[in-house]
Amino acid sequence: MNQDFWSFCLSRLENELPPQQFNTWIKTLSARTEDEQGEARLQLVAPNRFVLQWVRERYLRRIEELAEAFFHAPVAVELSLPPAAAARAPAAQKPVAVAVHASTEAGAAHAGGPADISVAEVEPEAAIPSADLAYEKTRLNPDFTFDTLVTGRANDLARAAAMQVAQNPGTSYNPLFVYGGVGLGKTHLIHAIGNAVYKHNPRAVIRYVHVEDYYADVVRAYQQKSFDAFKRYYRSLDLLLIDDIQFFNNKNRTQEEFFHAFNALTEARKQIVITCDTYPKDIQGLEDRLISRFDWGLTVQIEPPELEMRVAILKKKAEALRVAVDDDVAFLIAKNLRSNVRELEGALNKVVAYARFHNRGISLELAKEALKDLLNAHNRQLTIEHIQKTVADYYKIKVADMHSKKRTRVVARPRQVAMWLAKDLTPMSLPAIGEAFGGRDHTTVLHACRTIADLRQGDPQLNHDVHVLTQVLRG
Amino acid sequence: MKQLILDLHRDAPPRFDNFVSGANDALLDALHAAIGGGSHLYLWGAGGCGRTHLLHASVAAARAAGRPAIHVDAAWLGKQLNEEHGALIAVDDVDRLDDAAQIALFNAFNRARSNAHTLLLSGPCAPLGLRLREDLRTRIGQCLIYEVQDLDDASRAAILATQAGRRGLRLGDEVVDFLLRHGRRDLPALLAVLDALDQASLEHQRPITLPLLRTLMQQGLEI
Repeated sequence: MNQDFWSFCLSRLENELPPQQFNTWIKTLSARTEDEQGEARLQLVAPNRFVLQWVRERYLRRIEELAEAFFHAPVAVELSLPPAAAARAPAAQKPVAVAVHASTEAGAAHAGGPADISVAEVEPEAAIPSADLAYEKTRLNPDFTFDTLVTGRANDLARAAAMQVAQNPGTSYNPLFVYGGVGLGKTHLIHAIGNAVYKHNPRAVIRYVHVEDYYADVVRAYQQKSFDAFKRYYRSLDLLLIDDIQFFNNKNRTQEEFFHAFNALTEARKQIVITCDTYPKDIQGLEDRLISRFDWGLTVQIEPPELEMRVAILKKKAEALRVAVDDDVAFLIAKNLRSNVRELEGALNKVVAYARFHNRGISLELAKEALKDLLNAHNRQLTIEHIQKTVADYYKIKVADMHSKKRTRVVARPRQVAMWLAKDLTPMSLPAIGEAFGGRDHTTVLHACRTIADLRQGDPQLNHDVHVLTQVLRG
Repeated sequence: MKQLILDLHRDAPPRFDNFVSGANDALLDALHAAIGGGSHLYLWGAGGCGRTHLLHASVAAARAAGRPAIHVDAAWLGKQLNEEHGALIAVDDVDRLDDAAQIALFNAFNRARSNAHTLLLSGPCAPLGLRLREDLRTRIGQCLIYEVQDLDDASRAAILATQAGRRGLRLGDEVVDFLLRHGRRDLPALLAVLDALDQASLEHQRPITLPLLRTLMQQGLEI
């Protein structure tokens, strides 16, 4: 029944909305049949949180009207995320249930405006939030918890300290200073502290702030002459998580404000957690009085993860995406992307997207295909010099022979092969290729291309050589 | 007598329906998902592969669907990006971001979640090869990454024919074959030659033929 209604609804909305709007927002929804306690319910699944929000704000009312007209009865319309996405976004997890109560003559009113329909939101915007809104204000990312953090030798000390701080904020290590290279999980770790404190005590006033946003707040306080409110806010926090402190570099007024906030918070035994890309003493452009304060608590380092940990991280991320990734696939990605976790995640996302698009399972072979352009990135910008060198190496001649006037077969044939490859693999014109081969005329290049094309038909060895070279050059 | 020509171009604005997709179906699918709030995307490929076209097309499609969207060329980015809630933000040529603009894009990544932004970026090479701040480069590496696949000669010939048709020109097969065999085969170069042929054809009131092309080449036209 739901599917019938949804087909009806789709056809109506397709006529009513511009095609772009229909295709982007409505067509991506899918209807799920679910009978709960005999009540008619329509559940629509949005592909992501953004679409869910967008449809709820702009189209839900119209869908309700159509449902009312179709069923001639009260219908509950719910919007939700697919299970995997919902699991990763607790704040949006609850479907927004909207019950539509038919007014007495609503059956005839479907084509008109919404005036005849009373809409009672089961979980109205204003009512859901008190808890959610408080969480929103923390600016924490619900995905980043201790549960989703993979531990290994690279971060076990930092993780243990972070857990200690989360259990006893303000009393164990204050401040906790976490430093390490780019993309190693510093931000994840401090969000995890915030989420753990929030979970234990939802009334704690927590704020995650990136230094650039803190700086923007200072600028705003200047512009709006609201320094008092700014100070009051930052001094009212129970837990301040401040990310990427190296961006304080030479922002003197921001440092000054932070210095006072820091003193006020630590005196009141409120917790501060700081991240940075270097050890405190190495931070450029930071006042000494701040640096010395960072030493009051505990300074811990996060190091780049070793291979096994990278594999474990990938498996964990795959688990969050609700996809099965075998060890050999995780190993392939982890072996090729060594320096940071973000790019590991990018590669995994690519493999998952590739598998979904081609409707195939994730295998080693598929992962290699999906990541071909990513992993061979260094070789992809083909230049004529690279082609000449590769061909010269292959035929064991000198690169200089590519430019020379010599016309012996042992040199001339490889040169022709290189010209053919240059024509096939780069967008260069014949005169430009000729120029790159010792200032030869474009007709020479044309002759070489024709010769190689002809020879490939009858000379298996040459055909094999050209094939191998093409593969090598393409990566 | 030489006919004077008004400098008018009637090229169609870049849209998805005038992009010849070639082997880029998966990329187009991902772009449509990004318009509807999917992952951030990074597209890369050599100059002339269609990156800018795709970014403009995505911005136009997002606007047509009612979503706020902007296209910013890296050279013009400055210190601050648009903060409009829910926007699709396309930044072209990230390799050309200056220091302040790199921080602006870095901030955009950090604020994307709370601002409900989707970032659509492009550059000349895979993130591994980008020379940017490491904290920004790795954030780009976390996007869904697609190489814009080059077209084959048949697709290039089809585009030339379409573009010629749009200008009301008749482009013989022998001219297209010659251009693809002899000249640069990237699309901007081919379209520049088409422009030159168009202009010469109007000026000299001659149809576009191989002899006309040869005449132009003798006069210094590079193809």
